[in-house]
Amino acid sequence: MSDLILDRISKSYGKTQVLSEASIEVKAGETVVVCGPSGAGKTVLLRLVAGVVEPDTGDIRIAGRSVLNVGPERRDVGMAFQNFALYPHLTAFENIASPLRARGLEAGEIKKRVDEISKLLRIEHVLGHTPRELSNGQKQRTSLARSLVRGPGVLLLDDPLRNVDAKLRYEMRLELPRLLRNFGSAVLYVTQDYKEAMALADRIAVLRAGRIEQLAPASAIYDAPESIEVARLFGDPTINLYPIRPEAEGGAAVVRLFGQTWRLPRGREAAIDRDCMLGLRPEDVRIGGDGHPGSVAFELEAVTPLNVRGVLYLRGPAGEELLATVPERDIGQFGRGHRRIWIDLPAEKLHLFDRQSGARIAPAAA
Amino acid sequence: MATLSLDKLTKVYRPRGREPVLAVDHVSLEVGDGEIVGLLGSSGCGKTSTLRMIAGFEEATEGKIRSNGREIQDLPPSQRDVAMAFEGYALYPPLRLRDNIGFALLRERRPRSEIDQRVAEVAGLLEIEDILDRYPSSISAGQQQRTSLARALIRRAPLSLLDEPMSQLEPQLRAILRARIKDYLIQNRMTTIFVTHDQTEAIALADRIAVMEKGVLEQYAPPVDLKERPANLFVASFIGEPPMNIVDAIALEEGGRRWLQILDGAGNPAFRVALAGQASALPAHGGLEPGVKYALGIRPHRLRIGATSAGTEGLTARVFSRQWLGDQTHLGLELAGCSFVAVADGLVPVQVGEQIAVALPLAALHLFDRASGTALRHGLDAETRAA
Amino acid sequence: MSMRKTNPIARALRALALLLVGLFFLFPIFWVLLMSFQTNQDILRIPPSLFFSPTLENFYAIISGKLVTSAGTLEVPFMGNLLNSVILSTASVAVSLLFGVPAAYAFARFRFRLGEDIAFTLLSFRFAPPLLVVLPLALYFQDLGLNNSYLGLVWVYQLISLPLILWIVRGYFEDMSPDIEHAFRIDGHSWFATFMKVSIPLARPGIAAAALLAFIFCWNNFIFALILASADKQPVTVGALAFVTASGIQYGQIAASIVLSIIPTLALALYAQRYLVEGLSLGAVKG
Repeated sequence: MSDLILDRISKSYGKTQVLSEASIEVKAGETVVVCGPSGAGKTVLLRLVAGVVEPDTGDIRIAGRSVLNVGPERRDVGMAFQNFALYPHLTAFENIASPLRARGLEAGEIKKRVDEISKLLRIEHVLGHTPRELSNGQKQRTSLARSLVRGPGVLLLDDPLRNVDAKLRYEMRLELPRLLRNFGSAVLYVTQDYKEAMALADRIAVLRAGRIEQLAPASAIYDAPESIEVARLFGDPTINLYPIRPEAEGGAAVVRLFGQTWRLPRGREAAIDRDCMLGLRPEDVRIGGDGHPGSVAFELEAVTPLNVRGVLYLRGPAGEELLATVPERDIGQFGRGHRRIWIDLPAEKLHLFDRQSGARIAPAAA
Repeated sequence: MATLSLDKLTKVYRPRGREPVLAVDHVSLEVGDGEIVGLLGSSGCGKTSTLRMIAGFEEATEGKIRSNGREIQDLPPSQRDVAMAFEGYALYPPLRLRDNIGFALLRERRPRSEIDQRVAEVAGLLEIEDILDRYPSSISAGQQQRTSLARALIRRAPLSLLDEPMSQLEPQLRAILRARIKDYLIQNRMTTIFVTHDQTEAIALADRIAVMEKGVLEQYAPPVDLKERPANLFVASFIGEPPMNIVDAIALEEGGRRWLQILDGAGNPAFRVALAGQASALPAHGGLEPGVKYALGIRPHRLRIGATSAGTEGLTARVFSRQWLGDQTHLGLELAGCSFVAVADGLVPVQVGEQIAVALPLAALHLFDRASGTALRHGLDAETRAA
Repeated sequence: MSMRKTNPIARALRALALLLVGLFFLFPIFWVLLMSFQTNQDILRIPPSLFFSPTLENFYAIISGKLVTSAGTLEVPFMGNLLNSVILSTASVAVSLLFGVPAAYAFARFRFRLGEDIAFTLLSFRFAPPLLVVLPLALYFQDLGLNNSYLGLVWVYQLISLPLILWIVRGYFEDMSPDIEHAFRIDGHSWFATFMKVSIPLARPGIAAAALLAFIFCWNNFIFALILASADKQPVTVGALAFVTASGIQYGQIAASIVLSIIPTLALALYAQRYLVEGLSLGAVKG
C-alpha cells in the first residue's frame, strides 16, 4: 500500500491564501483527520491530493513518487464527497463499478467485487436503484463503496457524514474505523466535528486559516493543545478562557482570577509577568463544597443538559462567564432559578497560552 | 406571560393531483406560563406545520388553539401577539442589523435610548455586537440566524416561536449561547415554543419536549422523563446520543427461576438476565409472559464496565471500538453476538480487541412490547412498577 | 397573509382575466387556422363570419404544387420550401451543437484569459440586427460563390443558433456540480470519457431545450434567406411571398402554408418536452 506525503503545499485563489506551507504525512493503514473551522482550506487539500486542482508550490507524493500534474485518473486515489457526487443516470451498482470499469476488469470480476463491498456496507439490496431512489444514508454508503471498491492506496473522505442525519452519523462513526482497517489504505479524512476527529483518527491535523497548527494524536491535541485556537476547537462546551497575568509570589507563580489568588503548579515560571490566557475545560471545574478555603462563590444562572452531562452556566464575582459540566445524575439538584454555588479550580488542569501569539506555554520539564 | 393550549390540532395538505397528506394528527398539549417547550422530530414529522399554525401562517384543518384561554386559530398573525424567528431568517435587506433587530420596538414607538440599550443587550447575548452596523447580505449564515433570533427575543413577547433557531450556529458557540438564551427566556418569563430536529438542542433548552413522528405526538414530557421513562421504542431510540441500546428478548422459566433470554441479531440465544422481584412473578401479578418477545433497552451510560451486578454475573464483552472524546469515552462492545454502546466518564484504559467484564443493572433495563413498541416497564428490579 | 377560504368572487374574476389573456394571444393562430379552410371570398367578406363551408382546396393547392387562379395555373414550390426549411434548420442546429456544446463546457468549466470577453462577443451576435450585416454578407457570398448554397446559409444561420446554444448550455453546465465529473475522473476515466459519458448525458435537458429553441429561431428566419437564397433554396418563410400574385394576394394559401409550417416545430416541441421536464433534480447530489 502507499504512503501519502504533502510537502509544504500552498494554494491561493485570487487574493485569498487558502493553504500556506501545509505538510502532512500519512502512512499506509493510518487515518489522519484534518479538522478545522469551516472555510475552504480542508476541502481544497483533498482536491489537491485527488489531482482535481494543482498546488501553487510544494509537492505531493504518493507511494514515493511525485504526482504533480498527473491527472486524477492515474493517481490510485479513491474519494468520497460530502454531497455524495453519485452519477444520477446510473444505478448504484454501476456507480460502484465505475472505478473497476475504468481499469478494464472483466464483468465477472466486477460483479464479484461490487457484491463484496456492498455486503460489507449493507447496501446489497438497493444496488439496482438509481441515486434518486436512495435515502441519504444509502447514498452515502454507495459513495463510500465506490471509493473503496478498487482498494486504492490513498483514500480521501470529504466530511462524508455531514449530510447524514444525527442517528446514522453516530452509527457510521462507530463503524468506520472497523471498515477502514479492512482496506489498509492511507486515509485522509476531513471534518469540522472534533468528536468525529477524535473518534476516527490515528493522528489529527488541525487546520486553521490555511496553516496546520498541530499534527498529533488525539490525546496530545486535547491534553496539550499547542494554541488557543486548537484548545477552542476541541471540547464541548468550549474551553473557558480568561486574560490573566501571572505574578511571582513566595517563590511560585500565582494567578489572580475571580477575586482569588491561585497557585500555578511548578514549572510555569516562564509565564510570570507575561500577558497570558488561562484555559479551563468545563469538565475540570470542581463543583460543590460549602465555601472551603480556596473556593469561589459563583452565581448559577442556567442549567442546560448536554447528552450524558449537564452544563452549568455560571457568573463570577465580577460578572465573568464560566461553563462547567457535571454528570447527568447530578443535574436534578440545581432547579430552575438562580442560586449560589461554590467552585474550585484544579491547578494542574489549567492551560496557559501567550496572549499575543496564542501559543501554549508548556510547563518546563521537571 | 401567556399560556398556550393545542386541542386536537390537525393539518391536512391537499396538493393538486396527489394524495392528501396528514401532516399533523390531532395534537393536543398544554404550555404553561413562562414554559419553554421544544417540538422535536425528524423532517416531515409535522413540527414545523404545528408551529406555523400557532403563528397563523397555516390554517388549521381541525382543532383549536387557545392563548390565555382565548381561541386564536382564526386570527391573522398580527393579532396573535407572538414573536417569531423564521428558519429562513427573513431579514430586511436594506436595513442594518441593528435596525432589523430593533424594528418591532421602533414600531411600538419606544424611545431611542431604550431601543439602543435593548439592542445592545440582546446583541451581546448572541455575540453579534461587533457587526450591528453591517447589512444582512455581508454576513455569514450563522450570523444571520443569530440576528433573526435577536429580532424575535428582543420583543420579550408573551409567546415566542422559534423555528430551528440554532441549526447554523458555529459549534464552538452552541453551548454558551444555549445557556445565555435559556437564562434570558427564564428571567423574562417568556413562554417559548421552538422547533428542532436536533435532540441535543431540545434537551438543552426545553422544560418539556413534544416528540413528534409522522404527525403524531409520541410523548410530551420533561427531558429527564424522555430519557428515563420513554413511552415507546421510537422515543427511546430517538432521544440520546448515543441512543438507547435495544435488543430482542424472551422471558423463560428454568431451574425454578425466571429469566430474560437476550437474542442476538440472528435471533439466537445470546445471554441471560436473571429476573428478580415482581418481574419474576406470574404474569397475572405483573410478571413477564414466558415465550413472548420483548424489546429490552439500556442507556449507554448505565452499562457498568469492569463490574458485576445482580442479574448478569460473569458477562464479558469484546471491545470492538473505542472512541475517546476528551471528557467521555464511547465503547462499542460485542456481547455474545449483540452490539452495545457504552459511555463512561473520562478516559477508559482498554484497547480494541480486549475482553472486559460488563454488567447490566436490573434497575437500568427498560422493557418494551416488541409488536407495538409501547413501553411496559422502566427498571426490572424489585421495587419497579409498570411504565 | 391570513389563510381564509378564497373568496369565490375573486376566483371567478381571476379565471375571467386568464381567459381574456389567453384569447388575446391565441386568437391570431385560431383565425389563421380558420382562414386556411376558407376560400378567398369567404376570407375577404365583410363582416367576417365564423360560419362558412370549409374547403380543402388551399391545402390541395400547396401540396400538389399547383395553384389555379383567374390568371392561369401557377407553380407553387411550397413543398420544396418545406424541405429546405427542414434541411437548413436541422443542419444549422447540428453544426451549432457540434461546436457549441464543447465550447459551452469550456466556458463553464475553465477559466482562461479573455474567456468572459470571448463569450460575451459570441453572445452579442444575438442582438445584432440582421439587416446591418446582410447586404455586405451578400456581396461576400457572391465573391466566395456561396450565394444560394446550403453551406452558405447554414454558415450564416450560426449567427442565430450558436449564441443561443452557447448561452443556454453554458448556464446548464455551470449549474451542474463539478464534483460528479471529478468523481468520474478519480475513478480512472480520462477527461474525454468524462465529457462524453457524464457531462453530456447530464446536460441533456439543457441541450434539448437549447436545440429546440435554436431550431425554431432558424426555422423562423426571414431576412438571411430572403437575401442570400434564390428560388430553389428558399425556406417556407420566404416561400410564402409567392402567394402575393399578379391576380391578388392568396390569403387562403398563405394561411394553409402557415398551418403546415407550424406543424414540424410543434411536433418537435411536444416530443422534446419530456427532456425539458427532467431538469436537474436527479437526486444524485445532495441539496
